[in-house]
Amino acid sequence: MENTVEVSHVSKSFNGQSVVRDISFDIASGEVFGLIGPNGAGKTTIIRMLLDIMRPDSGEIRILDAADKIKDMIGYLPEDRGLYRRLTIMDTLMYLGALKNRQSKERTLELLDKMGMLSNRDMKISELSKGMQQKIQIIAAICHDPGFIILDEPFSGLDPVNMKLVKDLIIQLGKEGKTILISTHMMDQVERMCDRILMIHKGSGVLYGSVGEIKSRFGKNTIFLEFEGQLENIAGVRKINYSGNYAELILEEGADAQNVLKNIVSMVRVNKFEISMPSLNEIFIQVVEGS
Amino acid sequence: MTKWITIAKHEFSYNVRRKEFLFVTFGLPIFMLAIMGIPILLMSVSISHEEYRIGYVDRTGSFEPLNFTGYPDEETARKELLEGKITHFFVIPPDYRSTGKINIFSTNRTLSGTVDDKIRDFMLENLLKGQKIDLVERIKDPMHSEYFILNEKGETGEDGFSALLVSIAFALFFMLSIFTSSNFLLQGVVEEKENRVIEILLSSVSYRELLIGKIFGLGAVGLTQIIVWSMIGAGLLFSNRLVFSILVERMHVSFALLVFALGFFILGFLVFASLMAGVGAVSTTTREGQQMAGIFSIIGAIPLIFSQFILMYPDAILTTALAYFPLTSPITMIMLLSIGEVQFHELMISVLILTFSTLLIIELSVKIFRVSLLMYGKKPTIGEMIKYVRES
Repeated sequence: MENTVEVSHVSKSFNGQSVVRDISFDIASGEVFGLIGPNGAGKTTIIRMLLDIMRPDSGEIRILDAADKIKDMIGYLPEDRGLYRRLTIMDTLMYLGALKNRQSKERTLELLDKMGMLSNRDMKISELSKGMQQKIQIIAAICHDPGFIILDEPFSGLDPVNMKLVKDLIIQLGKEGKTILISTHMMDQVERMCDRILMIHKGSGVLYGSVGEIKSRFGKNTIFLEFEGQLENIAGVRKINYSGNYAELILEEGADAQNVLKNIVSMVRVNKFEISMPSLNEIFIQVVEGS
Repeated sequence: MTKWITIAKHEFSYNVRRKEFLFVTFGLPIFMLAIMGIPILLMSVSISHEEYRIGYVDRTGSFEPLNFTGYPDEETARKELLEGKITHFFVIPPDYRSTGKINIFSTNRTLSGTVDDKIRDFMLENLLKGQKIDLVERIKDPMHSEYFILNEKGETGEDGFSALLVSIAFALFFMLSIFTSSNFLLQGVVEEKENRVIEILLSSVSYRELLIGKIFGLGAVGLTQIIVWSMIGAGLLFSNRLVFSILVERMHVSFALLVFALGFFILGFLVFASLMAGVGAVSTTTREGQQMAGIFSIIGAIPLIFSQFILMYPDAILTTALAYFPLTSPITMIMLLSIGEVQFHELMISVLILTFSTLLIIELSVKIFRVSLLMYGKKPTIGEMIKYVRES
């Protein structure tokens, strides 16, 4: 499959401080790609270099084949959200579309309708709630029908209803064959949506590949547990990540899951017990702690 | 459509709807008209509708009544004033000749200038009793002055009043317009940084396209302002000849002067706008940007502070320096052009310096834009800026 993006040995530093170190990756056409890592890992700097807002100190970036029209082919949702407060929704979207040389009133209205905001189109941005403004920004990123869409933290600040709306939209765009780059620190979100990921930490790539392949690399050493009661030291368990009545248990090497289950049952009431691969979040922690 | 034109169109339509633009463009002429016109109107109303009947009490025994009413004592005069038979009376004390002091009484506050003039004429006529009437009239109104400027060949040029008026008025309006629109540019850049729109814009256009689009869009805003002011001015001149007749008679604005003034306005705007864009790029808030921009505005206003000097000494070194320094040359040259004190080569040097500086500042601003625009909340030091510009 042809690649939409090819990044080769890219580095960037500010004031002598290295922010991105020798990063290489590619994104195939039509792929949903995750750029993940904690805040401050260098994700936004990589995106800005992809958009030619910043230039790398070294390395090469190639996007699509249309070298001179690259910016028109990309849709971008920045992490820091903001719009012209005194403009109406429609004026904002038409202006941002015109800057891409691909203004389409029809598509803009269609997207507004899909996001449930068609009747608000003449409202000023300043009159909108934060959630509505977020939706307008997402429409602004895709209203010119780009082939490559970059979404920087697309779920931040969204309530569960709008989060689902955006997820559905991303899935829909993926089905339409768009190439999508999602950058986020919410690893559980990309786990379900992305074909492949690049995990970065302190500017360096630490994991790169398909989600399944990465997870299988770390083996089936995890138990997902839903329980009632108080869990304490369990023989054979190296680490417990708690989340209310749920817990992710990382087993010691060579530990038997059946024995662990017996131990758990003696402590708490078990509602669900699942032997699985570790979450991306746990993998990330393991990689970072290991490094 | 080329993207910078899209940006220019957006900047124009976005900024002409700003309250600040509407206030300065329409509010300022109304304000100035009120300041200039109301006293004149009030005076003309009070002259035409108020008939003054003035009395006096002479304690020196040497004044003749002429067209005033003489009273033997202050009591009688007070009584007549209170009864409305006279509007004013004044008392000439015995020591008037040594002190010049008189006391004027009236029942209400009026514009005293006209009454003063009438009493002054009365005093002069009495003091100059026996002199020829034409001498008395001349002493009352001793000079009607009009200035002429001789050039090197001994030819007379425009008179000083019109030169001063035209140049200062031009300079004031042009400066105001340049500062207003370049300040909008500054505010726009800082706002776009504050609300993070800048990142969306830069994902669509290059830094240069963004900067040039903004400069041209806001230049059009400034020109619109000048056109509106000119139209309001022309409308007033044609509609109220009574109040403005003196100005019309004395102003001699040539077509060439207007063309050059417009040229310098455009170049001046370009210099200030590109500077403001650079300032906006390194500012973290609008207030901080305006503080930094204030320094350039003060430098730009220097020709106005020295306007009298520039007009009196057009060949002085300071004037020449102001005429060539890019931040002061637009206003200085407009002033010098309006009094016809510019040689062709001086004009060309000034235009060339201004054009070259504009291109240089635009280039530097693009670089500063690129290196500092996305540094939210952090203002680079001058040293850092120089380093970044070199690196880029």
